[in-house]
Formats: sequence, C-alpha cells, structure tokens
Amino acid sequence: MAFRFFINCDDAHVLSTRDQYKDLNPKELFRLNLHKSHCNGCRKFHKTNDIFTRKMNGLKWIKLTLEQKQKIKARLKEQMKAK
Amino acid sequence: MPEVKLIPEKWVDRYGDYLFNYTITRINDPVLAQDLVSETFLAGLKSAHRFQGNSTERTWLVSILKRKIIDQYRKQNSKKGKAEVRVSYLETSDQEGDWLEERVGDMRNPTVEDEIEQKELGEALSACIDSLPERYATIFVQKSIDNLETETICKEHNITASNLWVILHRARVQLMDCLKDKWFNEN
Repeated sequence: MAFRFFINCDDAHVLSTRDQYKDLNPKELFRLNLHKSHCNGCRKFHKTNDIFTRKMNGLKWIKLTLEQKQKIKARLKEQMKAK
Repeated sequence: MPEVKLIPEKWVDRYGDYLFNYTITRINDPVLAQDLVSETFLAGLKSAHRFQGNSTERTWLVSILKRKIIDQYRKQNSKKGKAEVRVSYLETSDQEGDWLEERVGDMRNPTVEDEIEQKELGEALSACIDSLPERYATIFVQKSIDNLETETICKEHNITASNLWVILHRARVQLMDCLKDKWFNEN
C-alpha cells in the first residue's frame, strides 16, 4: 500500500489523541505534523489536547493498593456466596 | 438505551480506584475511604435486585457512595464535643497567637494555589467523567488514569486498537468540552 502523506481532519484528531499517549510511529507522526502545518483547526485542537494532557498528568490520582483491592474483593466474594 | 446488567465480579477492578479517589477528595481519611468504598460495593450487591438498568453501573454505584458519604458526615457531626475539640487550638494557656492567621494557608504561596486548583480540577474532571457514556468512561479511566496497556484494555472490552483510539478520542473531546469554560480558556 502506498504511503499516504495527506490525511483528513478526523484522522488527524485521532492521531493527535494517540500522540498524547506516545503511541505514534514516525510515519504517523510525520502525517500528523504535515496535516497540522496546513490546518489551523487541527493545530488548535492539538494544542488544547496538549493542555488537557498536561493538566491531567499534573493531577494526583489516589488509587487503591493491590492489597486493599484484594481485601474488598474478598469481602464482596463472601457476600456473594452468602447470597 | 440498552439495558445495563450488573457484573459485581468486576466492580473492584473497574470502579475501585475511581470511587476511592472520589471518596478521598471528600473525606480526608484513606482508611475510612476504603471502608466506604467497600461498603458501597456490599450495599450495591444487596440492592442489586432494585437496579432497573436505567443508569450505568458506575453512576448507580456513585449514587450509593454519595449517600454513604453523607451518612458519614452526619455521624461525624453528631458526635458530641467534636466542635470543642476543633476550637481548642492552643495547647497551653501560656501560648498566644491568632488562630485564624496561623491556621489559614499563605495564599501567595504558589504551592497552596496549585493544590487548590488541582483539587478543583480533579473534582470537575470526576464530574465530567460521570457524564460520559459507561464504556467511554471505563476505557478513559483505564488508559489515562490506571495507565493500562492498550492490548489489555482491548482484550477486556473485546475491541480492536483502532476502536479503542476512536473511543478514547471521543471521550477526551467530550471531557475537554465539559471542562472548557473553566479550564481551557487560557493560552
């Protein structure tokens, strides 16, 4: 399949999202950058996407530890058996 | 809207972290927060027969958790003497100081402002995640907060990687839209 340089805005938006998770290979990154170079809307979208990622990464997400999860699971299992 | 079925076996993995984070921002006690999350799941199991499938599993569990948190606040406030303990700021009568000045954080300190902003953003984001369709919310949380591998998420939801990225993209667009008024008006 021939290498497709130009992509539409829908594809560019999905690539922009994948880029936030560092999931793009060099070809895809090139396509995204090429599209952004001539599409103001996608450039703007990518910038907002970047801000969103930055803000989200700055948040402290407090998670349950594996041990805490096991404890809750055990309680739940017990209750399900008793039912 | 398709009928939603409850799958209690997956509750802890799917919603445990989310509910815990939701609780800890409202009750600043990790042990108590864990108990409340645990009790929420148990209460969910008990009243599963009353679940009509009109809302998503997560929304339903969050509504149970909200009631548990309110009950906890009531319990705490009904304990006599709590107020007196809180106002006894100075340890000895020799000590002098202005309670208010010493207790209030220095607002010029950027770390205090950052913390407040982070807390507010966290709460706003949680509320926006709540408004997402169930599948979008679960996949977004698994990928963005739990940092699970793409392959793992695809396997669990039985979808292709392309599907996953489209769902993730749509979820993010909805979240950005939900948060934009307050959080994305900057340059």
